[in-house]
Amino acid sequence: MGKVTFTILRFDPEKDKKPHYQDYEVEIRRPGMMVLDGLNQIRWEQDGTLAYRRSCREGVCGSDALNINGVNRLGCITHLEDLKTPVVIQPLPSMPLIKDLIVDLNDFQDKFFLCKPFLIPKKPLPDLEQLQSPEDRRKLDGLYECILCASCSSSCPSYWADPEYLGPSALLNIWRFVVDSRDVGADERLQLLNDRHGVWRCHTILNCIEACPKGLNPTQAIGGLKKALVSAKF
Amino acid sequence: MALNFVSGRTGAFDWLFQRISGVVLALILGLHFIILHLISGGEYEYEVIMTRLANPSWKVFYFCFLFFALYHAMNGAKILIDDYIHHPRLRTLLLSLDWLLAIVLFLYGTLIILMHQAPAVKG
Repeated sequence: MGKVTFTILRFDPEKDKKPHYQDYEVEIRRPGMMVLDGLNQIRWEQDGTLAYRRSCREGVCGSDALNINGVNRLGCITHLEDLKTPVVIQPLPSMPLIKDLIVDLNDFQDKFFLCKPFLIPKKPLPDLEQLQSPEDRRKLDGLYECILCASCSSSCPSYWADPEYLGPSALLNIWRFVVDSRDVGADERLQLLNDRHGVWRCHTILNCIEACPKGLNPTQAIGGLKKALVSAKF
Repeated sequence: MALNFVSGRTGAFDWLFQRISGVVLALILGLHFIILHLISGGEYEYEVIMTRLANPSWKVFYFCFLFFALYHAMNGAKILIDDYIHHPRLRTLLLSLDWLLAIVLFLYGTLIILMHQAPAVKG
C-alpha cells in the first residue's frame, strides 16, 4: 500500500550536542493508520532507540502530543492519509527537551496545580451530593474535557516569550472551576492570575484553539477570566 | 519595591483602556478623515486649516486625538515590553523611557495645538 517518509527530530543527551533530523520509511499496511502507528512501527521494527510517550492510543490520555508538520496534535488520532509527506515530527515547541520526542512537562503541570484544580465546596458540606442544575452543568461543556496534553500552551507565542506565563491550558482549567456553580473558590483563583504573568499576557493569537485536539477554546475561557477581573475591579 | 513600581498594576487597567482608547481613536480618526478628505474636498489651504485649528472646539478635538493616540501607542509599547523583557531593571528602564517619551510628545503636541492662531486677514 506504499510508504511514507517520517522525518523525526532526534536527540540523545548522552551522545548528541544538539538535535538532528533522521528519516524513516513507514509502510502503510492498512487504511486509517495513525501517526502513532507509524512511530510504533519504527520503534518496534527499525530503531528501538526512538523515544516518545504514548499510552491509551485513542486521544484520551494526552501523552503523545507532538508537533506534526508544524502543528501540535496527538499522534494517536492524526491520520497519516491526511498529512503531506514527508511527515515532519518534532517534540512540542518551547518545552525543555529530554530525549527525542519527549519533553519536560514539570513546569506545565506545576502551573496547572497552581490553579487549584479541584472543587472548593460550600461549607458546611451537604449530607448527600451537591446538586447542580442542568443549565449550570452545561456551562462546563467545552472546559472539563481538557486532557492536559500541553498542545495549546506549547503552541502559544506568549507562552514561548514569558517562561512564567500560566498559559492557555492552566487558564482554561481555572475558568472551568470559576464557572462551576458548586465551587466557591473563584476569588482566590482570580487573584492568582491577575498579574503580569497571568491572563494579561494573552493577546488572542488563537494558536491554542487550532492546536487543541479536543476542540476546546482556551482563548474564549481566557476572555471570560479577563471580563471577570475587569468587572471586579471597575 | 522601587524596582517593581511600574509593574505594580496588574494589567487589568491597561487591557481595558487599550480597548477603550482604541474605540475612541477609531471614532476620532474617522471624523478627522471625513473632515480633512471629504468635507474639505482635499484642499489643504493654509488659511482654511489654520482657521479651523484656531477654533477652541477643534483644539479640544485635536487634544483628545493627541491624548488617545499617544496613550494607545505607548500603552501598546508597554504591553510589548511586559511580554518580552523579563529582567526587572531593564524592564523598569524601558517602561520609564516609554512613559517619558509619551509625556514629552504629549507636551510638545499640546504646545503645537495651543499655539495655533487664526491667520491674519490678507489686506
